Amino acid sequence: MDPLFILTRTLQYSAAALLQGIFVMWCVIAQPALRQMQGTLALQNRFDRWLLALGWTSLLVALASGIVWLILLASQMSGVAPPDVIPQGVVRIVLTQTRFGEDWLLRGAFIIMLAACLLAQTQKLRQVPRWIGLVVAAAFMASLAWAGHAAAADNLPYSYLHLPADLLHLLATGAWLGGLLPLGLLLAAVRRDGGPDGLAVARTAALRFSVLGISCVGTLLVTGIVNTWFLSGSIPALVGTLYGQLLLVKIALFIGMIAVASVNRNRLLPVLARGNAEASLQSLVARKLSRNAFTEAGLGVLVLAVVGIIGRLPPGLHTEPRWPFPFQLDLGEVGAGALRVLDVAAILFVLCLIAIAIQRRRYRGMTVSLVGVVLCGSIAWIAVRPGILPAYPTTYYASTQPYAAASVARGATLYAANCTACHGADGRGGGPMAASLAIRPADLTEHIFAHHVGDLFWWVSHGRGNGVMPGFADKLSPDQRWDVINFVLARAAAVQTNTVRSQITTAAAAPLPDFAFQQDGTQNTLSQMLKSGPVLLVLFVGPAPEARLKQLTDLEPGAAAGLGVIAVGLGKTPKKAPMVVQVSNDVRGLLMLFRSANDGGETEMILDRNASVRARWTARGAGGLPDADTLLADAVRVARIPAAAANHAGHGG
Amino acid sequence: MSRKIAAALVLFALLTASAPVLAHAFLDHSDPAVGSTIPTSPAAMHLWFTQQLEPAFSSVTITDKSGATVNDGPASIDSSDSSELDVKLKRLPAGTYKVKWHVLSVDTHTTEGDFTFSVSGG
Repeated sequence: MDPLFILTRTLQYSAAALLQGIFVMWCVIAQPALRQMQGTLALQNRFDRWLLALGWTSLLVALASGIVWLILLASQMSGVAPPDVIPQGVVRIVLTQTRFGEDWLLRGAFIIMLAACLLAQTQKLRQVPRWIGLVVAAAFMASLAWAGHAAAADNLPYSYLHLPADLLHLLATGAWLGGLLPLGLLLAAVRRDGGPDGLAVARTAALRFSVLGISCVGTLLVTGIVNTWFLSGSIPALVGTLYGQLLLVKIALFIGMIAVASVNRNRLLPVLARGNAEASLQSLVARKLSRNAFTEAGLGVLVLAVVGIIGRLPPGLHTEPRWPFPFQLDLGEVGAGALRVLDVAAILFVLCLIAIAIQRRRYRGMTVSLVGVVLCGSIAWIAVRPGILPAYPTTYYASTQPYAAASVARGATLYAANCTACHGADGRGGGPMAASLAIRPADLTEHIFAHHVGDLFWWVSHGRGNGVMPGFADKLSPDQRWDVINFVLARAAAVQTNTVRSQITTAAAAPLPDFAFQQDGTQNTLSQMLKSGPVLLVLFVGPAPEARLKQLTDLEPGAAAGLGVIAVGLGKTPKKAPMVVQVSNDVRGLLMLFRSANDGGETEMILDRNASVRARWTARGAGGLPDADTLLADAVRVARIPAAAANHAGHGG
Repeated sequence: MSRKIAAALVLFALLTASAPVLAHAFLDHSDPAVGSTIPTSPAAMHLWFTQQLEPAFSSVTITDKSGATVNDGPASIDSSDSSELDVKLKRLPAGTYKVKWHVLSVDTHTTEGDFTFSVSGG
């Protein structure tokens, strides 16, 4: 992290927020409050003077930090040292050829326009209305969105919501957070020059700001959740990455600001609004309001400092989340009935919480709601218990090695050298050493897909069962450990797959690893083929079954469901056979797993678009190999199976 | 007020399961494919990224075993897809080639990486 860049960003955000807040204050808070009062000219003059000084300072800070930001970014983009980016013309390239540069030129224009607006205020040119300044200042604030992640188009559902959410978030920040310091100044000016009507001015301004504040807080909450979703995306990323943790700090500061604001609204404002309260009490309240506004503004600067840091970090999902808790919640382990109970309990829980929040001082109602909260909590706890499993720091890690033939082949070698002694060559836990161990080694062919790959990674790295299984963190590199896991997963998938029968199954077997092959001189992969429809994988040993392959060749072009065929010879294949693809030894070794000895000379399987086998036939099995009509009918059915939901936590999840 | 916020956060936590996000430009796939072996010299290298790129600060260098550059001119962004980077290649004899990419996404973040591919026949 670069402290200068973070400071620059914080200053730019603060200055932009203040500029918007100043004009919001002038246009919608102070002006209406001052206009209705007589004899407040001294107050108005002092307040305008203060706001103008604040405005010019903010504008200078915005200009200076904007230039530094541009230089630092140009240096980072080009690798040229910051003092050289201007002489070497990098800044010009950034300004004219990048999207950030376009945004910065626009913001430069806004700075000039804002200077003109402030000058008009300084010269008291009444014909230049202040709302023009408000519009420009809002645009200056909102255009910060294009300097951030929201500018980039994600290939995500609802990603078109990201930019509008970001714009609204910035505008609400400017209006509320940027307005706090000007509000504090107005209340302070009231104390100095208020005169007899000062308290009335303070009351109107505070009430108006309160309404503005509530709408801004609501906007910030909704848009903040949308942005959190897009940039952090999951609870592991939120609690397990620096990015996510800073986001939580930001949320905590935000809640602190809201706590102060709610004291203002619920305790202080009612006193000020009461017409018959003593003047001395009311001026005490006005002083407290002023002090609270400055406190909130201080918290707000801290929020912007966190924003300054966050923007320099990769978003939550670009780093592996280190899970901080020793347990995890796996809803897959919770039954369907219990899940429904959980849904109802969660809704009632939230309703009870809301009921508590709004029942001010009605203690009986509060008690009833509190009992409801405890009851719902207990019921939810009982329903959810089976899903609470031990977890490790690496639980939500994703594999660094793609689930593909090359990694599986490396893993097979490593497995033979390190794991066979206990887990056995077949992975069922019956290796030569197994009998001498206090705990029987785990069967690695069953149940393994119920674990996160990150759990497997932890066990391979640090061992299990009080050292009965040793850890391999010192012996194998992280990539090698992922290779072993990929091999174990591929073999477990093979064990599942080899039980699939000729009827299309609704329970998908675990997916095949990806593999590459060559056909007629062109390179292709399984995953690429699956994009256009189901694939029939034909594995054979011995001479190529030419008659069968001829039959499949005739079928292929007519396949309505876009059925692709990959025929692989696993024994010694003749050089030229129609349709047979060439594969590397790694792929041959992988595909050998997906045949069993009693299959006979040929095995055929149909894969859905997730690479899971849905039906499987063998030359020696009951009914033999399918005829063309059966294959086409099955292909149509398999093509209708939807793609699995994208799962960034890896393939094993 | 803050309790309402707490309630909203609890609700948010309950609703959030997982959603994949990619805001930096990472290599999605390439042609010739990463780690692949192809029979003849390709005319060009195409790289597809997960993000739109800034042409001014995105580059690809392809080198042979001896470290000599084999790309024919600098990389350019595809005119119809600003997340695709194309670079022409000289005629490649059989051998293994290293592809080094360094790209800037439109959200101003730099990423880089490398991979190899092989040509089996001249």
